[in-house]
Amino acid sequence: MAEQEKVSAVRGKAGSGAAVRSRAKANPWREIVWDVGLRIASIFTLLFVWWFLSLVFPPTLIPKPWETFVEVFNIVTTGAFFAEMGSTLRRVLVGFVFAMVVSIPLGILMGTLRSFESFFEPPVILGLTMPGLVWAVLMIMFFGLTETSAYAAVAVTIFPMLAISIWQGTKSIDKDLIDMSKAFHASPWSKVVDVILPQLISHILAAIRYGLGLAWKVVVVVEMFGFSNGVGYQVVRGFNVFSMKVVLAWTITFLVVMIIIEFGMIGWLERVVTRWRPRVEAWRR
Amino acid sequence: MAYVHVEQAVKSFPREDGTDMLVLDGVSFDTKENGNTCLLGPSGCGKSTLLNAISGLERLDQGRVEVVSNHSGFAALSAQLGYVFQDPRLLNWKRVEENLVFALKGMQVPQLQWEERIHKYLGLVGLLEFRKQYPLYLSGGMRQRVGLARALVIEPDILLMDEPFSKLDQLTARKLREDTLEICARLKQSALLVTHDVEEAAYMGDRIVIFSARPAHIVEVVENPFPPLARDLDDVRFIQFKKQLLQTVLNLVKEIEEVSP
Repeated sequence: MAEQEKVSAVRGKAGSGAAVRSRAKANPWREIVWDVGLRIASIFTLLFVWWFLSLVFPPTLIPKPWETFVEVFNIVTTGAFFAEMGSTLRRVLVGFVFAMVVSIPLGILMGTLRSFESFFEPPVILGLTMPGLVWAVLMIMFFGLTETSAYAAVAVTIFPMLAISIWQGTKSIDKDLIDMSKAFHASPWSKVVDVILPQLISHILAAIRYGLGLAWKVVVVVEMFGFSNGVGYQVVRGFNVFSMKVVLAWTITFLVVMIIIEFGMIGWLERVVTRWRPRVEAWRR
Repeated sequence: MAYVHVEQAVKSFPREDGTDMLVLDGVSFDTKENGNTCLLGPSGCGKSTLLNAISGLERLDQGRVEVVSNHSGFAALSAQLGYVFQDPRLLNWKRVEENLVFALKGMQVPQLQWEERIHKYLGLVGLLEFRKQYPLYLSGGMRQRVGLARALVIEPDILLMDEPFSKLDQLTARKLREDTLEICARLKQSALLVTHDVEEAAYMGDRIVIFSARPAHIVEVVENPFPPLARDLDDVRFIQFKKQLLQTVLNLVKEIEEVSP
């Protein structure tokens, strides 16, 4: 009798475990709804706070949310937004490409050769500590109000963090795998493409994410200084006519695009690139 | 058919204080041409170093290591060696079959043969249904099997294995040992296995080369009286053979303890 009790006790425990698991399985939608619901609630709370403040403050300081969104609608439907956003985006991309073309080889060299590491570490660290906005000012003073200064400002700002990422990534490459590739006589090309680069990709991706955030800011500042197109220019224009509404409208649309790029494109890229790694979600509540 | 000829191998490594640590002190032996050879010795005695010298990952200071095969002409210039490491050392971002392709590419096997070989050797290790899976989704034992398949897929003259079962749990290791023995017998594959486990050496080795502790020389070469597929771990006579082997190795350890103050 005691034996049976023990058995049923064990099964009971297992039974309740199974029940908990099946409960979670039966309601995956519950979790998703809860998660999305919380996010939407957060945004609505912000909107509510905004609306409330717009009642308290004069419209020149805090414009009404509705009016601002009407403005957003205008700038999007007239195509003005896409034109300006296009210019800003172009500046970010070109600067980015320049930075990557230099930082990837340099980072790999710094990670593999002591001499390169010692020589390039000071300028890279110095570059890192310079505020991006200071770079923007320097580049404009040097190149004038040309597209080049925008490209240069972006490139110089994000180059240090890309280089450091790749440099550290190269140093942390698994030597065992290099030995293995030697044992199987892999060609140098195969060693780089099949063994080294995949280990660097996650470092590169992290650096791109961080760099992108910074690049946007730098470009907008450069545009504020006196370009005649771009999102930064539009913000300054709004400032000059003291229209909070215009400033906020452009800022909001800009933010939305940025978020789409950050979470949509880069997030998607990250998921693709880390497909081979099992996700460790089990411990989160 | 091929075997490894080791002649007076000497190797030192520099210590931090500038002196040299002598690891291999004139090691000489030949592996068995049509079977499995085990290099048995205490940890740190240089067996892995010697294996690396055989595979070309390390250079000896003196002496020579030669893989002798009866290929003729061009093929004789480079005997093919397959390597199985202690840990799987797979490219985790590539699928199982892509890991095998990596080895096939490196050893310049013609692409037409790839599919057939992948199918055959993944089948032999029992992982054919996982060929499109990524390594991190497999268990440790399965990953080690992929490593074995990768070494076999290039159809090497000699299969080199460096303590390939030491990182696995007891049951998985036991199963994999059996399977490896069977696969090698079926393929008529010669293997060279480094181990510090006496039972493993007795079970897997047709010829057992016993290393002394560092600086290493060969203490004894033992031929296994039991044919490969007749080694029963529960057989009294096999256990007796194991005990003799163990005794030899234990005496080595005692010698070290007596010599060093």
